[in-house]
Amino acid sequence: MPAGMKPLEKFLKKQSSALTRPGGFGDKATGGGAARRRSSLSRVVPFFRESSPESGPARELFSPDTEEAPCWELRSPSLSSDEQSSEGSSEAQWSPVPADTPENLVVALLESLAGGRRLGGCTETLLDDFMLTHPIFLAPDKFQRILLQQFGVEGKQREAWPSWDGVERKQAVFSVAFRYLDTYRELLQEEGERSNSFAKELYLHAAQELNQYPELVEDVLKLQRWTEILQSHSEEDKDVKKKQVRPLFRHFRRIDSCLQPREAFRGSDEIFCRVYMPDHSYVTIRSRLSCRVGEILALVQEKLQYSEEQPSRPGTLILVAVTSSGEKAVFRPSDEAVFTTLGVNTHLFACEPHELDTLLPLPEEVHWSPGDSKLHDMSAEEVANQLVSFDWELFSCVHEVEFVCYVFHGEQARWRPLNLELVLQRCSEVQHWVATEILQCQSLPKRVQLLRKFIKMAALCKQQQDLLSFLALVLGLDNPAVSRLRLTWEGLPGKFKKQFQQFEAIADPSRNHKSYRELIAGLRPPLIPFTPLLLKDLTFLHESCKSFYGELVNFEKMHKVAEMVRSIRRYRNTPLALDAEPSPSHLQTKAYVRQLQVIDNQNLLFEMSCKLEPKEA
Amino acid sequence: MHPPTRIIRTAHDAPVGRVTERQRARWPRHDLCVSRRKQQCCGLGGTMPEQSNDYRVVVFGAGGVGKSSLVIRFVKGTFLESYIPTIEDTYRQVISCDKSICTLQITDTTGSHQFPAMQRLSISKGHAFILVYSITSRQSLEELKPIFEQICQIKGDVENIPIMLVGNKCDEAQNREVQTSDGEAMSKRWKCAFMETSAKTNHNVKELFQELLNLEKRRCVSLQIDGKKSKQQKQAEKLKNKCVLM
Repeated sequence: MPAGMKPLEKFLKKQSSALTRPGGFGDKATGGGAARRRSSLSRVVPFFRESSPESGPARELFSPDTEEAPCWELRSPSLSSDEQSSEGSSEAQWSPVPADTPENLVVALLESLAGGRRLGGCTETLLDDFMLTHPIFLAPDKFQRILLQQFGVEGKQREAWPSWDGVERKQAVFSVAFRYLDTYRELLQEEGERSNSFAKELYLHAAQELNQYPELVEDVLKLQRWTEILQSHSEEDKDVKKKQVRPLFRHFRRIDSCLQPREAFRGSDEIFCRVYMPDHSYVTIRSRLSCRVGEILALVQEKLQYSEEQPSRPGTLILVAVTSSGEKAVFRPSDEAVFTTLGVNTHLFACEPHELDTLLPLPEEVHWSPGDSKLHDMSAEEVANQLVSFDWELFSCVHEVEFVCYVFHGEQARWRPLNLELVLQRCSEVQHWVATEILQCQSLPKRVQLLRKFIKMAALCKQQQDLLSFLALVLGLDNPAVSRLRLTWEGLPGKFKKQFQQFEAIADPSRNHKSYRELIAGLRPPLIPFTPLLLKDLTFLHESCKSFYGELVNFEKMHKVAEMVRSIRRYRNTPLALDAEPSPSHLQTKAYVRQLQVIDNQNLLFEMSCKLEPKEA
Repeated sequence: MHPPTRIIRTAHDAPVGRVTERQRARWPRHDLCVSRRKQQCCGLGGTMPEQSNDYRVVVFGAGGVGKSSLVIRFVKGTFLESYIPTIEDTYRQVISCDKSICTLQITDTTGSHQFPAMQRLSISKGHAFILVYSITSRQSLEELKPIFEQICQIKGDVENIPIMLVGNKCDEAQNREVQTSDGEAMSKRWKCAFMETSAKTNHNVKELFQELLNLEKRRCVSLQIDGKKSKQQKQAEKLKNKCVLM
């Protein structure tokens, strides 16, 4: 029986809430986005310092099996050398790429692809590394220009690489270009008209060179198809998007849309959102997901119809996120894509700066009403199946590059990790759902039944290798408001108690989450990892070594980042075998699981807990 | 001769029909008889998460008839020519309620039909309704019919629910398509109140909300916070003070 709050939950609560909101609570937001994220992490993990930059390119070869990367100086008292978190890579030899300028790295990549001598069989890995991480160190415009340049459009550059055959270099450029278009297709399409300019320009120049290099014809045709793809999407998009507004927030959920398979959110998707005033009035605005806070406030101001006639024109409004327990975080006007960073029951408020202290959470977050839960009528199996199914949909919507962008947010990333943030939100939602259901149940025997049900669900999720919901359920049961219900836990049969203790052991964060890592190492795909921990690993990696040494890119770090993303790729490279269309009763369960109503105000949960089992004097 | 039927003051969340002893035991006694005695603002939203001293008014109508303009003219006193389609906005204002204060919550809804679930929810939680059409559009009056029907469906007995039919834009006399008599006829059919207003010229806007509150029988809600009541209100109160349980 859990005696108190487990370190993991405490850490992960901070983790997921700290990393999913811009800036810490309790202090006014200052500094850049990246700086804020860093500080919140160092609060959580105190043993940590940046490595010193190494001079010169000479670096020892290391094989993929040793976990200690030369630039990774993570120090933690719980960390021993055999417990590092790197995943074993399945590649053949990898020779580290020395630090270099972004342009030279592009050239090195092209050389490698053109059958160059230096990097041999690691070309695919190098290309993958580059594709996944280049937004960190190379702005897209610049990257595109370099590629065009290398294709020879600016001429006279050929002398620099005399050993290259003209065709091979051009084909290398094509390879990189196609890979780039493929990987970043959605982002390019988001940019509308501009998106096509790179493909078009390359196509035009390539077409001109066909006389000289007829062997390029297939690539040129392929490129032409790409221009069509990018073109047509931006055109049809305009009509379709006008009508569809995706439901993101609870008030605008529609059953019909929540039963459809989930599609990935894009920055250009429009959503409805309520923005509250200090007196709890609200306006509903329609906005792009990637919208800047400044624009949101402009929409709100427009709605409130402040007119010239009014004697006191309002000052500048600020946008504030208020959690259900009353914590506040102020956004800066330049912040973008804030909607997906909000906690489950966190609401947006617009107010004047001097009103900040008067903001209170909404009544529905502070009060609760006992009600009949539908969960009692649902079987653990069916609920677990729906949890897993939904988790797969959410996880599959996360583009690989989002993992990179999440960690490197605030640097060069233009792509907001919207779908990844929604996965994190879901994790928090499931945790709080467990606590909410148990604490809303007035009857002791029924509560014990719920405990059993949740433990059974956890077992089923683990069996189906959905570690996201598995651990979320365990952490939910570890919520101090729940774990203090002594009588309820005592009513649990021994078998379940034992099983839960085993589950808790997996959630144990000691020795760098050794139990969890052992578990996941023994699983074969498809599986869903516990995403908050995944991001913690990525963040450690990011914070423990520099991306740049002056002008030179630390490509070893990029390689490590790409390695982590490749492990995620492996987790989901096998399609999951899911059941066929559910029956009507299953549809009810499906709708329920996808529209969970939870209380995430810990104070309120504790209050409810004390009402059920008063504190012993 | 049939025994006289109990007239039931239905709370919004209570079932319509004869009240059984068991049900009555759940309600505080005062609810059954509107009297001058101090009574709680209870029976409304007892188990709802909203505060029980909210009085919720919902404004419905076709797109562009002036719902938002009416609400904003009332709440803020301003009027803007530009048209910004509403999705759902809610404004709050303190009003007097049975000698204490409560919050008037006005929900301005969308003219389109994007969120039927949200519409149903507003109706089930609402205490009073304003159905707005524009006198310059016969179509907009027609569009109110399904809304009225839905209110009847969800609320059951609309007799005791304040509903106001409003013909807005009465300043645009030259474009009038719906005569005042048409609006009155509709309101008689629906057994609700009727008024013509103009948010632009601020004609009858405050009166609209005051009259709506006067229609509320279950408690005494008023825009006047200082206790001073208009002659009209005093008269209305006098009537309410009579106990109508038979």
